[in-house]
Amino acid sequence: MTGFSSAHLKSAAAKLAAASEAAADELNTQDGKLGDGDLGITVSKGWREVANTDLPADLGKAFLEASKAFQRVSSSSFGTLIATALMSAAKATKGNESAEWNMVGGLLAGAREAMMARGKGELGQKSVLDMIDALAGATDGIDDPKALLAAVDKAIDETLDAFRDKPNLLGRARMFGEKSVGLDDPGMLAVRRMFDGLKEPI
Amino acid sequence: MKKILNDPAVYVDEMLDGMIAAHPDVYAQPIPRVITRAGGATPGKVGIVTGGGSGHLPVFTGYVGKGLLDAAAIGDVFASPSAEQMADSMRQAHGGTGILRLYGNYGGDVMNFDMAGETVELEDDITSTTVLLADDVVSAPPEEAEKRRGVAGMVYAFKIAGAKAEEMADLDAVTEIAQRTADACRSIGMALTPCTVPQAGKPTFDLGPDEMEMGMGIHGEPGIWRDTLKPADAITDEMMDRLLADRPLGSGDRCSILVNSLGATPPEELFIMYRRAKARLEADGVSIVMPLVGRYATSMEMTGATVTLVKLDGEMERLLKAPCHCAFWTVV
Repeated sequence: MTGFSSAHLKSAAAKLAAASEAAADELNTQDGKLGDGDLGITVSKGWREVANTDLPADLGKAFLEASKAFQRVSSSSFGTLIATALMSAAKATKGNESAEWNMVGGLLAGAREAMMARGKGELGQKSVLDMIDALAGATDGIDDPKALLAAVDKAIDETLDAFRDKPNLLGRARMFGEKSVGLDDPGMLAVRRMFDGLKEPI
Repeated sequence: MKKILNDPAVYVDEMLDGMIAAHPDVYAQPIPRVITRAGGATPGKVGIVTGGGSGHLPVFTGYVGKGLLDAAAIGDVFASPSAEQMADSMRQAHGGTGILRLYGNYGGDVMNFDMAGETVELEDDITSTTVLLADDVVSAPPEEAEKRRGVAGMVYAFKIAGAKAEEMADLDAVTEIAQRTADACRSIGMALTPCTVPQAGKPTFDLGPDEMEMGMGIHGEPGIWRDTLKPADAITDEMMDRLLADRPLGSGDRCSILVNSLGATPPEELFIMYRRAKARLEADGVSIVMPLVGRYATSMEMTGATVTLVKLDGEMERLLKAPCHCAFWTVV
Protein backbone atom coordinates (compact mmCIF):
# COMPACT_ATOMS: atom_id res chain seq x y z
CA MET A 1 0.00 0.00 0.00
CA THR A 2 1.28 3.43 -0.86
CA GLY A 3 0.22 6.58 0.89
CA PHE A 4 -1.03 7.01 4.43
CA SER A 5 -3.74 5.30 6.44
CA SER A 6 -5.55 5.39 9.73
CA ALA A 7 -2.56 3.59 11.31
CA HIS A 8 -0.27 6.42 10.17
CA LEU A 9 -2.64 8.97 11.71
CA LYS A 10 -2.63 7.12 15.03
CA SER A 11 1.14 6.83 15.03
CA ALA A 12 1.52 10.51 14.15
CA ALA A 13 -0.89 11.53 16.93
CA ALA A 14 1.24 9.72 19.53
CA LYS A 15 4.36 11.51 18.31
CA LEU A 16 2.61 14.88 18.17
CA ALA A 17 1.31 14.30 21.70
CA ALA A 18 4.75 13.48 23.05
CA ALA A 19 6.31 16.51 21.35
CA SER A 20 3.50 18.79 22.55
CA GLU A 21 3.81 17.53 26.11
CA ALA A 22 7.57 18.15 26.05
CA ALA A 23 6.95 21.74 24.87
CA ALA A 24 3.84 22.45 26.94
CA ASP A 25 5.49 24.75 29.46
CA GLU A 26 7.26 26.74 26.74
CA LEU A 27 4.04 27.10 24.74
CA ASN A 28 2.04 28.14 27.81
CA THR A 29 4.65 30.79 28.60
CA GLN A 30 4.76 32.13 25.04
CA ASP A 31 0.97 32.13 24.84
CA GLY A 32 0.80 33.94 28.17
CA LYS A 33 2.64 36.88 26.59
CA LEU A 34 -0.12 37.39 24.01
CA GLY A 35 -3.10 35.35 25.19
CA ASP A 36 -4.48 33.33 28.06
CA GLY A 37 -1.50 31.03 28.50
CA ASP A 38 -3.17 27.67 27.90
CA LEU A 39 -1.83 26.75 24.46
CA GLY A 40 0.58 24.08 25.70
CA ILE A 41 -2.22 22.44 27.67
CA THR A 42 -4.55 22.63 24.66
CA VAL A 43 -2.27 20.89 22.19
CA SER A 44 -0.86 18.31 24.57
CA LYS A 45 -4.27 17.29 25.92
CA GLY A 46 -5.76 17.28 22.44
CA TRP A 47 -3.16 15.09 20.74
CA ARG A 48 -2.96 12.75 23.73
CA GLU A 49 -6.73 12.23 23.51
CA VAL A 50 -6.41 11.48 19.79
CA ALA A 51 -3.55 9.06 20.45
CA ASN A 52 -5.65 7.26 23.07
CA THR A 53 -8.69 6.98 20.77
CA ASP A 54 -9.46 3.91 18.65
CA LEU A 55 -9.37 5.06 15.04
CA PRO A 56 -11.40 3.11 12.43
CA ALA A 57 -9.78 1.81 9.24
CA ASP A 58 -11.74 4.21 7.01
CA LEU A 59 -9.42 7.21 6.81
CA GLY A 60 -12.28 9.73 6.69
CA LYS A 61 -13.87 8.23 9.78
CA ALA A 62 -10.46 8.14 11.46
CA PHE A 63 -9.97 11.86 10.87
CA LEU A 64 -13.53 12.45 12.15
CA GLU A 65 -12.82 10.49 15.35
CA ALA A 66 -9.58 12.42 15.75
CA SER A 67 -11.46 15.70 15.35
CA LYS A 68 -14.04 14.66 17.91
CA ALA A 69 -11.34 13.54 20.34
CA PHE A 70 -9.65 16.93 20.09
CA GLN A 71 -13.00 18.71 20.63
CA ARG A 72 -13.72 16.52 23.63
CA VAL A 73 -10.86 17.85 25.70
CA SER A 74 -10.47 21.38 24.38
CA SER A 75 -13.12 24.04 23.75
CA SER A 76 -10.48 26.78 23.35
CA SER A 77 -10.23 28.57 20.01
CA PHE A 78 -6.94 26.92 19.00
CA GLY A 79 -8.25 23.47 19.89
CA THR A 80 -11.37 24.09 17.82
CA LEU A 81 -9.20 25.20 14.87
CA ILE A 82 -7.19 21.98 14.98
CA ALA A 83 -10.42 20.00 15.23
CA THR A 84 -11.68 21.98 12.24
CA ALA A 85 -8.59 21.02 10.21
CA LEU A 86 -9.09 17.36 11.09
CA MET A 87 -12.78 17.60 10.16
CA SER A 88 -11.82 19.08 6.79
CA ALA A 89 -9.51 16.13 6.17
CA ALA A 90 -12.31 13.77 7.22
CA LYS A 91 -14.58 15.13 4.53
CA ALA A 92 -11.85 14.97 1.88
CA THR A 93 -10.91 11.34 2.60
CA LYS A 94 -14.35 9.93 3.43
CA GLY A 95 -14.80 6.38 2.15
CA ASN A 96 -11.09 5.69 1.55
CA GLU A 97 -8.80 3.46 3.59
CA SER A 98 -5.71 5.36 2.47
CA ALA A 99 -4.64 8.49 0.66
CA GLU A 100 -1.65 9.17 -1.53
CA TRP A 101 1.13 11.20 0.06
CA ASN A 102 0.75 13.76 -2.72
CA MET A 103 -2.69 14.58 -1.27
CA VAL A 104 -1.11 16.14 1.84
CA GLY A 105 -0.75 19.54 0.20
CA GLY A 106 -4.39 19.51 -0.84
CA LEU A 107 -5.55 18.42 2.60
CA LEU A 108 -3.58 21.28 4.16
CA ALA A 109 -5.07 23.74 1.66
CA GLY A 110 -8.55 22.46 2.54
CA ALA A 111 -7.75 22.77 6.24
CA ARG A 112 -6.57 26.35 5.67
CA GLU A 113 -9.88 27.29 4.03
CA ALA A 114 -11.96 25.62 6.76
CA MET A 115 -9.90 27.23 9.53
CA MET A 116 -10.17 30.67 7.91
CA ALA A 117 -13.94 30.30 7.70
CA ARG A 118 -14.27 29.03 11.27
CA GLY A 119 -11.91 31.55 12.87
CA LYS A 120 -13.06 34.47 10.67
CA GLY A 121 -9.40 35.13 9.94
CA GLU A 122 -7.42 36.16 6.89
CA LEU A 123 -3.92 35.46 5.67
CA GLY A 124 -1.21 37.94 6.59
CA GLN A 125 -2.51 38.53 10.12
CA LYS A 126 0.33 36.55 11.75
CA SER A 127 -1.58 33.54 12.91
CA VAL A 128 -1.54 29.78 12.53
CA LEU A 129 -3.45 30.33 9.28
CA ASP A 130 -0.31 31.77 7.67
CA MET A 131 1.61 28.73 8.83
CA ILE A 132 -0.89 26.26 7.36
CA ASP A 133 -0.94 28.28 4.14
CA ALA A 134 2.85 28.06 3.90
CA LEU A 135 2.80 24.32 4.57
CA ALA A 136 0.11 23.77 1.95
CA GLY A 137 2.26 25.58 -0.61
CA ALA A 138 5.46 23.81 0.39
CA THR A 139 3.97 20.31 0.22
CA ASP A 140 1.90 20.71 -2.92
CA GLY A 141 2.38 17.68 -5.18
CA ILE A 142 5.16 16.02 -3.16
CA ASP A 143 4.59 12.26 -2.98
CA ASP A 144 7.56 11.06 -0.91
CA PRO A 145 7.19 11.06 2.92
CA LYS A 146 10.80 12.07 3.58
CA ALA A 147 10.65 14.90 1.08
CA LEU A 148 7.36 16.01 2.62
CA LEU A 149 8.86 16.21 6.10
CA ALA A 150 11.86 18.14 4.81
CA ALA A 151 9.59 20.60 3.01
CA VAL A 152 7.45 21.07 6.12
CA ASP A 153 10.48 21.57 8.35
CA LYS A 154 11.92 24.25 6.06
CA ALA A 155 8.58 26.03 5.55
CA ILE A 156 7.91 26.22 9.29
CA ASP A 157 11.19 27.98 10.02
CA GLU A 158 10.85 30.31 7.05
CA THR A 159 7.33 31.30 8.10
CA LEU A 160 8.34 31.97 11.70
CA ASP A 161 11.16 34.16 10.43
CA ALA A 162 8.92 35.98 7.96
CA PHE A 163 6.31 36.96 10.53
CA ARG A 164 8.31 37.42 13.75
CA ASP A 165 8.78 41.16 13.31
CA LYS A 166 5.20 41.87 12.27
CA PRO A 167 2.34 42.68 14.67
CA ASN A 168 -0.41 40.16 15.43
CA LEU A 169 -3.69 41.24 13.81
CA LEU A 170 -6.01 38.37 14.73
CA GLY A 171 -7.59 36.99 17.89
CA ARG A 172 -6.73 38.02 21.40
CA ALA A 173 -3.10 38.64 20.42
CA ARG A 174 -4.17 41.60 18.24
CA MET A 175 -4.96 43.53 21.45
CA PHE A 176 -1.23 43.66 22.09
CA GLY A 177 -0.55 45.40 18.77
CA GLU A 178 3.03 46.60 18.47
CA LYS A 179 4.03 44.69 21.62
CA SER A 180 3.68 41.50 19.59
CA VAL A 181 6.43 42.65 17.20
CA GLY A 182 9.53 40.52 17.72
CA LEU A 183 7.59 37.66 19.30
CA ASP A 184 6.74 34.42 17.51
CA ASP A 185 3.00 33.92 17.13
CA PRO A 186 2.16 31.24 19.74
CA GLY A 187 0.04 29.24 17.29
CA MET A 188 2.84 29.19 14.71
CA LEU A 189 5.29 28.18 17.40
CA ALA A 190 2.96 25.37 18.46
CA VAL A 191 3.14 24.00 14.91
CA ARG A 192 6.95 24.10 15.12
CA ARG A 193 6.98 22.21 18.40
CA MET A 194 4.36 19.67 17.31
CA PHE A 195 6.28 18.83 14.16
CA ASP A 196 9.48 18.45 16.15
CA GLY A 197 7.92 15.06 16.96
CA LEU A 198 7.80 14.09 13.28
CA LYS A 199 11.45 14.18 12.31
CA GLU A 200 11.24 10.68 10.81
CA PRO A 201 8.55 9.30 8.48
CA ILE A 202 5.62 7.82 10.39
CA MET B 1 -15.81 35.36 47.71
CA LYS B 2 -19.07 34.98 49.59
CA LYS B 3 -21.21 32.38 47.84
CA ILE B 4 -23.30 29.38 48.78
CA LEU B 5 -21.33 26.55 47.25
CA ASN B 6 -19.39 23.39 48.09
CA ASP B 7 -16.56 23.45 45.58
CA PRO B 8 -16.14 25.87 42.65
CA ALA B 9 -15.11 22.92 40.46
CA VAL B 10 -18.55 21.30 40.75
CA TYR B 11 -20.63 24.50 40.97
CA VAL B 12 -22.32 24.02 37.58
CA ASP B 13 -22.89 20.27 37.92
CA GLU B 14 -24.44 20.58 41.38
CA MET B 15 -26.60 23.48 40.13
CA LEU B 16 -27.87 21.34 37.24
CA ASP B 17 -28.53 18.38 39.55
CA GLY B 18 -30.62 20.62 41.79
CA MET B 19 -32.53 22.26 38.95
CA ILE B 20 -33.52 18.89 37.51
CA ALA B 21 -34.35 17.48 40.94
CA ALA B 22 -36.66 20.46 41.55
CA HIS B 23 -38.33 20.22 38.13
CA PRO B 24 -38.23 16.60 36.95
CA ASP B 25 -41.41 17.18 34.95
CA VAL B 26 -39.60 19.78 32.81
CA TYR B 27 -35.90 18.88 32.53
CA ALA B 28 -33.63 15.87 32.05
CA GLN B 29 -29.86 15.53 31.73
CA PRO B 30 -29.24 12.43 29.60
CA ILE B 31 -25.58 13.38 29.10
CA PRO B 32 -23.53 15.56 31.48
CA ARG B 33 -24.00 19.26 30.64
CA VAL B 34 -26.73 18.52 28.08
CA ILE B 35 -30.19 19.51 29.31
CA THR B 36 -33.26 18.30 27.42
CA ARG B 37 -37.00 18.30 27.90
CA ALA B 38 -38.07 15.63 30.39
CA GLY B 39 -39.69 13.63 27.58
CA GLY B 40 -36.77 14.02 25.13
CA ALA B 41 -37.13 14.96 21.46
CA THR B 42 -40.57 15.30 19.86
CA PRO B 43 -40.83 13.12 16.73
CA GLY B 44 -41.47 15.17 13.60
CA LYS B 45 -40.83 18.52 15.30
CA VAL B 46 -37.91 20.79 14.45
CA GLY B 47 -35.54 20.77 17.42
CA ILE B 48 -34.25 24.08 18.80
CA VAL B 49 -30.99 23.98 20.71
CA THR B 50 -29.01 26.66 22.41
CA GLY B 51 -25.87 26.78 24.47
CA GLY B 52 -23.35 28.94 26.23
CA GLY B 53 -21.75 29.48 29.58
CA SER B 54 -23.47 29.00 32.93
CA GLY B 55 -24.23 31.94 35.18
CA HIS B 56 -27.15 33.44 33.24
CA LEU B 57 -30.21 31.53 34.49
CA PRO B 58 -32.86 31.24 33.22
CA VAL B 59 -30.66 31.56 30.09
CA PHE B 60 -29.75 29.01 28.69
CA THR B 61 -30.89 25.74 30.25
CA GLY B 62 -33.89 27.25 32.01
CA TYR B 63 -35.70 27.88 28.73
CA VAL B 64 -35.80 24.22 27.75
CA GLY B 65 -39.49 23.32 27.82
CA LYS B 66 -42.67 22.98 25.81
CA GLY B 67 -43.16 25.87 23.40
CA LEU B 68 -39.55 26.95 23.94
CA LEU B 69 -36.28 25.02 23.49
CA ASP B 70 -35.60 21.30 23.10
CA ALA B 71 -32.06 21.12 24.46
CA ALA B 72 -29.18 23.22 25.74
CA ALA B 73 -25.45 22.57 26.09
CA ILE B 74 -24.00 24.33 29.08
CA GLY B 75 -20.40 25.22 29.90
CA ASP B 76 -18.70 26.37 33.07
CA VAL B 77 -19.64 29.81 34.37
CA PHE B 78 -19.14 32.29 31.51
CA ALA B 79 -17.29 29.63 29.44
CA SER B 80 -18.36 27.96 26.22
CA PRO B 81 -19.49 24.34 26.28
CA SER B 82 -17.40 21.99 24.16
CA ALA B 83 -18.33 21.28 20.55
CA GLU B 84 -18.95 17.68 21.59
CA GLN B 85 -21.52 18.75 24.20
CA MET B 86 -23.16 20.95 21.57
CA ALA B 87 -23.24 18.03 19.09
CA ASP B 88 -24.80 15.83 21.78
CA SER B 89 -27.45 18.47 22.48
CA MET B 90 -28.34 18.45 18.77
CA ARG B 91 -28.58 14.65 18.70
CA GLN B 92 -30.80 14.68 21.79
CA ALA B 93 -33.11 17.34 20.32
CA HIS B 94 -33.44 15.74 16.90
CA GLY B 95 -36.97 14.64 16.10
CA GLY B 96 -36.13 13.80 12.50
CA THR B 97 -36.83 17.16 10.83
CA GLY B 98 -33.69 19.15 11.52
CA ILE B 99 -32.24 21.42 14.17
CA LEU B 100 -32.10 25.18 14.64
CA ARG B 101 -29.08 26.37 16.63
CA LEU B 102 -30.23 29.57 18.33
CA TYR B 103 -27.77 31.34 20.61
CA GLY B 104 -25.79 34.48 21.37
CA ASN B 105 -23.01 35.91 19.22
CA TYR B 106 -19.86 35.05 21.18
CA GLY B 107 -16.71 33.91 19.37
CA GLY B 108 -16.08 30.67 21.25
CA ASP B 109 -19.73 29.61 21.14
CA VAL B 110 -19.95 30.29 17.40
CA MET B 111 -16.81 28.29 16.57
CA ASN B 112 -17.86 25.36 18.69
CA PHE B 113 -21.48 25.30 17.51
CA ASP B 114 -20.39 25.47 13.85
CA MET B 115 -18.04 22.59 14.56
CA ALA B 116 -20.84 20.66 16.24
CA GLY B 117 -23.12 21.29 13.25
CA GLU B 118 -20.55 19.81 10.87
CA THR B 119 -20.03 16.83 13.15
CA VAL B 120 -23.70 15.83 13.34
CA GLU B 121 -24.17 16.41 9.62
CA LEU B 122 -21.25 14.15 8.79
CA GLU B 123 -21.94 11.53 11.42
CA ASP B 124 -25.70 11.51 12.00
CA ASP B 125 -27.03 13.09 8.78
CA ILE B 126 -28.73 15.83 10.81
CA THR B 127 -29.51 19.05 8.93
CA SER B 128 -29.14 22.20 10.97
CA THR B 129 -29.33 25.96 10.64
CA THR B 130 -28.02 28.82 12.75
CA VAL B 131 -29.55 32.06 14.01
CA LEU B 132 -27.37 34.27 16.19
CA LEU B 133 -28.65 36.90 18.60
CA ALA B 134 -26.64 40.10 18.27
CA ASP B 135 -28.92 42.56 20.05
CA ASP B 136 -26.59 44.57 22.35
CA VAL B 137 -26.58 47.98 20.63
CA VAL B 138 -23.51 49.37 22.39
CA SER B 139 -21.21 46.45 21.55
CA ALA B 140 -20.72 47.60 17.94
CA PRO B 141 -22.05 50.41 15.71
CA PRO B 142 -24.98 49.75 13.34
CA GLU B 143 -22.69 49.34 10.32
CA GLU B 144 -21.00 46.45 12.16
CA ALA B 145 -24.19 45.05 13.68
CA GLU B 146 -23.08 41.49 12.92
CA LYS B 147 -20.32 41.91 15.52
CA ARG B 148 -22.73 42.75 18.34
CA ARG B 149 -23.04 40.49 21.37
CA GLY B 150 -26.20 38.56 22.12
CA VAL B 151 -27.96 39.38 25.38
CA ALA B 152 -31.54 39.28 26.69
CA GLY B 153 -33.12 39.52 23.24
CA MET B 154 -32.60 35.78 22.93
CA VAL B 155 -35.51 35.28 25.35
CA TYR B 156 -37.90 36.59 22.66
CA ALA B 157 -36.22 34.47 19.99
CA PHE B 158 -36.55 31.34 22.16
CA LYS B 159 -40.22 32.09 22.77
CA ILE B 160 -41.28 33.00 19.23
CA ALA B 161 -39.23 30.36 17.37
CA GLY B 162 -40.19 27.80 20.02
CA ALA B 163 -43.88 28.44 19.44
CA LYS B 164 -43.43 28.17 15.68
CA ALA B 165 -41.65 24.82 16.02
CA GLU B 166 -44.40 23.60 18.37
CA GLU B 167 -46.86 24.19 15.48
CA MET B 168 -44.80 21.59 13.55
CA ALA B 169 -43.50 24.18 11.08
CA ASP B 170 -40.54 23.03 8.98
CA LEU B 171 -36.91 23.99 9.58
CA ASP B 172 -36.91 26.81 7.03
CA ALA B 173 -39.97 28.42 8.61
CA VAL B 174 -38.65 28.09 12.17
CA THR B 175 -35.29 29.51 11.10
CA GLU B 176 -36.95 32.41 9.28
CA ILE B 177 -39.09 33.50 12.24
CA ALA B 178 -36.11 33.14 14.59
CA GLN B 179 -34.02 35.38 12.32
CA ARG B 180 -36.89 37.85 11.96
CA THR B 181 -37.14 38.05 15.75
CA ALA B 182 -33.38 38.38 16.20
CA ASP B 183 -33.36 41.20 13.66
CA ALA B 184 -36.20 42.98 15.49
CA CYS B 185 -34.54 42.92 18.94
CA ARG B 186 -32.45 45.68 20.44
CA SER B 187 -31.00 45.58 23.97
CA ILE B 188 -28.83 47.67 26.26
CA GLY B 189 -27.51 47.06 29.76
CA MET B 190 -26.18 49.00 32.72
CA ALA B 191 -24.43 47.79 35.86
CA LEU B 192 -24.02 48.95 39.45
CA THR B 193 -21.92 46.15 40.95
CA PRO B 194 -19.99 43.21 39.48
CA CYS B 195 -20.42 39.48 39.99
CA THR B 196 -17.86 36.85 40.94
CA VAL B 197 -17.19 33.76 38.83
CA PRO B 198 -16.79 30.91 41.35
CA GLN B 199 -13.67 29.43 39.77
CA ALA B 200 -12.02 32.87 39.53
CA GLY B 201 -12.98 33.86 43.07
CA LYS B 202 -12.82 37.62 42.49
CA PRO B 203 -15.19 40.21 40.96
CA THR B 204 -15.27 40.47 37.17
CA PHE B 205 -14.65 44.26 37.32
CA ASP B 206 -14.27 47.14 39.77
CA LEU B 207 -16.82 49.91 40.07
CA GLY B 208 -16.75 52.64 42.73
CA PRO B 209 -19.41 52.56 45.49
CA ASP B 210 -21.37 55.47 43.98
CA GLU B 211 -20.70 54.66 40.31
CA MET B 212 -22.64 53.04 37.51
CA GLU B 213 -21.58 51.95 34.03
CA MET B 214 -23.86 52.43 31.04
CA GLY B 215 -23.72 49.81 28.30
CA MET B 216 -21.78 47.18 30.20
CA GLY B 217 -21.96 43.63 28.82
CA ILE B 218 -23.23 40.65 30.77
CA HIS B 219 -19.72 39.36 31.42
CA GLY B 220 -18.40 42.75 32.45
CA GLU B 221 -17.42 43.85 28.93
CA PRO B 222 -16.74 47.60 28.91
CA GLY B 223 -19.67 49.95 28.27
CA ILE B 224 -19.99 53.53 27.01
CA TRP B 225 -19.47 55.63 30.10
CA ARG B 226 -18.87 55.32 33.82
CA ASP B 227 -20.04 58.04 36.19
CA THR B 228 -21.91 58.69 39.42
CA LEU B 229 -25.21 56.86 39.76
CA LYS B 230 -28.11 58.68 38.05
CA PRO B 231 -31.84 58.66 39.02
CA ALA B 232 -33.92 55.78 37.62
CA ASP B 233 -35.78 57.96 35.13
CA ALA B 234 -32.55 59.42 33.72
CA ILE B 235 -31.06 55.94 33.37
CA THR B 236 -34.19 54.60 31.70
CA ASP B 237 -34.44 57.61 29.38
CA GLU B 238 -30.89 57.16 28.15
CA MET B 239 -31.38 53.43 27.60
CA MET B 240 -34.60 54.05 25.66
CA ASP B 241 -32.95 56.85 23.65
CA ARG B 242 -30.14 54.58 22.57
CA LEU B 243 -32.45 51.69 21.70
CA LEU B 244 -34.85 53.88 19.71
CA ALA B 245 -32.01 55.65 17.91
CA ASP B 246 -30.84 52.25 16.69
CA ARG B 247 -34.29 50.90 15.81
CA PRO B 248 -36.93 53.64 15.70
CA LEU B 249 -40.51 52.87 16.74
CA GLY B 250 -43.41 55.16 15.92
CA SER B 251 -47.13 55.68 16.09
CA GLY B 252 -49.02 52.49 15.33
CA ASP B 253 -46.07 50.17 15.96
CA ARG B 254 -46.48 47.25 18.34
CA CYS B 255 -43.62 46.01 20.49
CA SER B 256 -42.83 43.99 23.55
CA ILE B 257 -40.38 45.23 26.17
CA LEU B 258 -38.27 43.26 28.60
CA VAL B 259 -36.93 45.06 31.68
CA ASN B 260 -34.54 42.46 33.02
CA SER B 261 -32.57 42.14 36.24
CA LEU B 262 -28.94 41.11 35.84
CA GLY B 263 -29.32 39.14 39.06
CA ALA B 264 -29.29 41.24 42.20
CA THR B 265 -31.48 44.16 41.17
CA PRO B 266 -34.92 43.61 42.75
CA PRO B 267 -38.28 43.67 40.93
CA GLU B 268 -39.13 46.91 42.73
CA GLU B 269 -36.42 48.79 40.85
CA LEU B 270 -37.30 47.08 37.57
CA PHE B 271 -40.90 48.30 37.93
CA ILE B 272 -39.64 51.85 38.53
CA MET B 273 -37.79 51.57 35.23
CA TYR B 274 -40.70 49.93 33.41
CA ARG B 275 -43.08 52.70 34.45
CA ARG B 276 -40.84 55.26 32.76
CA ALA B 277 -40.19 53.15 29.67
CA LYS B 278 -43.92 52.55 29.18
CA ALA B 279 -44.72 56.24 29.42
CA ARG B 280 -42.04 56.95 26.87
CA LEU B 281 -43.32 54.39 24.35
CA GLU B 282 -46.94 55.41 24.79
CA ALA B 283 -46.05 59.07 24.28
CA ASP B 284 -44.69 58.02 20.89
CA GLY B 285 -47.91 56.14 20.08
CA VAL B 286 -46.31 52.69 20.41
CA SER B 287 -48.48 49.86 21.77
CA ILE B 288 -46.87 47.49 24.26
CA VAL B 289 -47.66 43.77 24.00
CA MET B 290 -46.99 41.34 26.87
CA PRO B 291 -44.36 43.30 28.78
CA LEU B 292 -41.81 41.21 30.68
CA VAL B 293 -40.35 42.52 33.95
CA GLY B 294 -38.11 40.31 36.07
CA ARG B 295 -35.11 37.98 35.98
CA TYR B 296 -35.00 36.58 32.44
CA ALA B 297 -31.25 36.73 31.59
CA THR B 298 -28.87 37.25 34.47
CA SER B 299 -25.20 37.55 35.19
CA MET B 300 -24.86 35.78 38.54
CA GLU B 301 -25.30 38.33 41.33
CA MET B 302 -24.50 41.41 39.22
CA THR B 303 -26.56 44.46 40.14
CA GLY B 304 -27.96 46.20 37.11
CA ALA B 305 -30.57 45.86 34.40
CA THR B 306 -31.04 45.43 30.70
CA VAL B 307 -33.86 46.76 28.54
CA THR B 308 -34.87 44.95 25.35
CA LEU B 309 -37.33 46.17 22.73
CA VAL B 310 -38.69 43.88 20.03
CA LYS B 311 -40.86 45.27 17.26
CA LEU B 312 -43.63 42.78 16.53
CA ASP B 313 -45.54 41.90 13.38
CA GLY B 314 -48.79 39.95 13.53
CA GLU B 315 -47.21 36.50 13.39
CA MET B 316 -44.54 37.30 15.97
CA GLU B 317 -47.18 38.70 18.35
CA ARG B 318 -49.35 35.58 17.97
CA LEU B 319 -46.36 33.30 18.66
CA LEU B 320 -45.21 35.40 21.62
CA LYS B 321 -48.63 34.91 23.20
CA ALA B 322 -48.75 31.15 22.46
CA PRO B 323 -48.58 28.72 25.40
CA CYS B 324 -45.21 27.66 26.81
CA HIS B 325 -43.93 26.09 29.99
CA CYS B 326 -40.56 25.84 31.69
CA ALA B 327 -39.56 26.22 35.31
CA PHE B 328 -39.03 29.96 34.91
CA TRP B 329 -41.75 31.07 32.52
CA THR B 330 -45.24 29.83 31.77
CA VAL B 331 -47.68 31.33 29.29
CA VAL B 332 -51.17 29.78 29.29
